[in-house]
Amino acid sequence: MSEVKIEKLCKSYGPVEVLKDINLTVGDGSFVVLVGPSGCGKSTLLRSIAGLEPVNSGNMTIGGRQVNDLPPAQREIAMVFQSYALYPHMDVYNNMAFGLKFAKTPKAEIEARVNEAARILQLEPLLKRRPRELSGGQRQRVAIGRAIVRKPQVFLFDEPLSNLDAALRINTRVEIAKLHKMLKATIVYVTHDQVEAMTLADKIVVMNKGRVEQAGKPLELYYKPNNLFVAGFIGSPAMNFLPAQVKKGGILALSDGQELKAALPSSCKAGDTVTLGFRPEHMTLGGAGKFALTGIIDIIERLGESGFAHVRLPSGHTVVAEVRGDPRTGSGQSAKLTFDADYLHIFNAEGQRLD
Amino acid sequence: MADAKAGAGNAIVGMGRGSYAMLLAFFLGPAVVIYTVFSIYPLFATIFNSLYLRQPDGAYLFNGLGNFQTLLTDTTWSVPFWNAFRNNCYFFFIHMLVQNPIGLALAAMLSLPRLRLRATYRTLIFMPTMLSVVIIGFSWQLILSPLWGISKMFLNALGLGFLFAPWLGQESTALITVSLISVWQFVGIPMILIYTALLAIPEELIDAATVDGLNQFQAFVWVKLPLIFPTIGLVSVLTFVNNFNAFDLIYAMKGALAGPNFSADIMGTLFYRTFFGNQLQLGDLSMGSTIATMMFLIILVGVMCYLFLIQRRMQRYSF
Ligand SMILES: Nc1ncnc2c1ncn2[C@@H]1O[C@H](COP(=O)(O)OP(=O)(O)OP(=O)(O)O)[C@@H](O)[C@H]1O
Ligand SMILES: [Mg+2]
Repeated sequence: MSEVKIEKLCKSYGPVEVLKDINLTVGDGSFVVLVGPSGCGKSTLLRSIAGLEPVNSGNMTIGGRQVNDLPPAQREIAMVFQSYALYPHMDVYNNMAFGLKFAKTPKAEIEARVNEAARILQLEPLLKRRPRELSGGQRQRVAIGRAIVRKPQVFLFDEPLSNLDAALRINTRVEIAKLHKMLKATIVYVTHDQVEAMTLADKIVVMNKGRVEQAGKPLELYYKPNNLFVAGFIGSPAMNFLPAQVKKGGILALSDGQELKAALPSSCKAGDTVTLGFRPEHMTLGGAGKFALTGIIDIIERLGESGFAHVRLPSGHTVVAEVRGDPRTGSGQSAKLTFDADYLHIFNAEGQRLD
Repeated sequence: MADAKAGAGNAIVGMGRGSYAMLLAFFLGPAVVIYTVFSIYPLFATIFNSLYLRQPDGAYLFNGLGNFQTLLTDTTWSVPFWNAFRNNCYFFFIHMLVQNPIGLALAAMLSLPRLRLRATYRTLIFMPTMLSVVIIGFSWQLILSPLWGISKMFLNALGLGFLFAPWLGQESTALITVSLISVWQFVGIPMILIYTALLAIPEELIDAATVDGLNQFQAFVWVKLPLIFPTIGLVSVLTFVNNFNAFDLIYAMKGALAGPNFSADIMGTLFYRTFFGNQLQLGDLSMGSTIATMMFLIILVGVMCYLFLIQRRMQRYSF
């Protein structure tokens, strides 16, 4: 069992609180992805789990063992760094074997483990090379190999793909997913990339300003974001938000006077100010959805099989709607946007989801 | 922008030979002139002078390598020469064994992540290097003076007075004392060079080593040290060149005779006495040049050994 449990973790640099009351469980064999805006504390959380940063308070267990006061090497973790952090003066073999040598692992065992990792990662022909004689993708694989040979309970990845070019990133992403299946490894993975998060994760943890905003299955976060932050962060292009006033009889009045009628959650009272959220792909240009908004098309970004229409409403807000195919309409024309009530998100004045 | 560049390129391509030469002369000229006048010419003049011998009537006669033979075999010359050479080697070894390890240790301590007052330490340690050698020499002479030196009183106050000796005045200790003072003065240079090299090593590399089970000290020895070997090599070569060109500190503290009984005599002081003369010894242009040429050769051989035997096997790492 290699479950990671984090309870009430707090960490500050001097007066600056970087992690505030983090609670997180990473189930055995699960793939957890941490996402959040830059500076929200993802790396700090990962480094705290690794033991590279001391924490102020809280409790961390790995595989049921409390690790708060253990040095990194004894936490049975392995970390893959963004810059790969390979030892430049050692060849690939020694980069992978270095930690094992220090742990006084028998030589035969080291050889077996390194060769096994090299086989899995197709590094066999490169074992005698130095890091600088490798391409970015190969370095990445060596860094992963160095993690594998440790046979850790938990793998920690800090933006491992961000230094690779787009094509290689997709390849490596698939490789990592395969590796996860094969090794049945427990993984905590930090990324900026939404697609990486959605495709790799069993569970996504959205962080903001040192707090966990929401943790859950990727689609759960996508379809039922807990609050405005998560709703705006997950999904690209981002969810559209419009302020609205609740009126009697389940009417939502937009600031420009347009009105929508919906089955409102019970917690919605007449007179409340709410924020409506709807995703671009749930809106259609024209069409016959139950809800409709009208506005002027500012611009249509055409990507080929689909595009994004930026529509300015009379209130001055801009809404983005996905358009399929090659619509005849163009900028400057007025447009009617329709969408399905099932996909309407309503948030209260504090930004919390109303259900 | 691109157009302007292409224009400039065309201007050079389309330029006449004469104006191109003018352009070269304009940019390279000053450096070439200064370098020639102050470096290349003196070097060749010295080598040239070392091949001539002054006759009693004042004329100079070509003597081939005769002067070198005299210097290395005639006991009047060879005894002081080998003495100075030995002392100079000793001077160099003390720097290598004391100055550079201490510089390395200081740099390692300066780069500790949790150190406070980093800039203060750095400045304080570097301070003696910026002071004039004459001031250093004079201060240390006062500190070590058996009559009123503070070191004697200090040892007495600790009840260790019996340890005191007139270190600068004894044949057996003069050279090592001067060497250590020089170490004290210049330890900031290896420290700064190595410190800079250590700063260039990314944090993540040390984090990786920490995850691999190394403590701070082991990470230093097994990861940082191998990565700064090129800098340590550079520091060694600088030390070698500086030490075999050394003169001022010994002259300031012990005078040209580098006494007692030439026990602190090094190549620089030997050359100074020979070339310019000292007390009853008359200045000798030829033999002085011969010694200067020998110094040049020693340094040349040392640097060549470094370049061909060591540096070629060393790799520089970019991170
Ligand atoms: N050594 C430090 N001293 C003080 N503050 C720090 C230190 N390291 C990080 N911080 C602060 O902690 C916060 C979290 O940093 P962290 O590196 O965890 O962010 P991140 O979420 O990984 O961001 P990114 O996505 O840009 O990598 C930031 O606001 C940063 O300024
Ligand atoms: Mg980060």
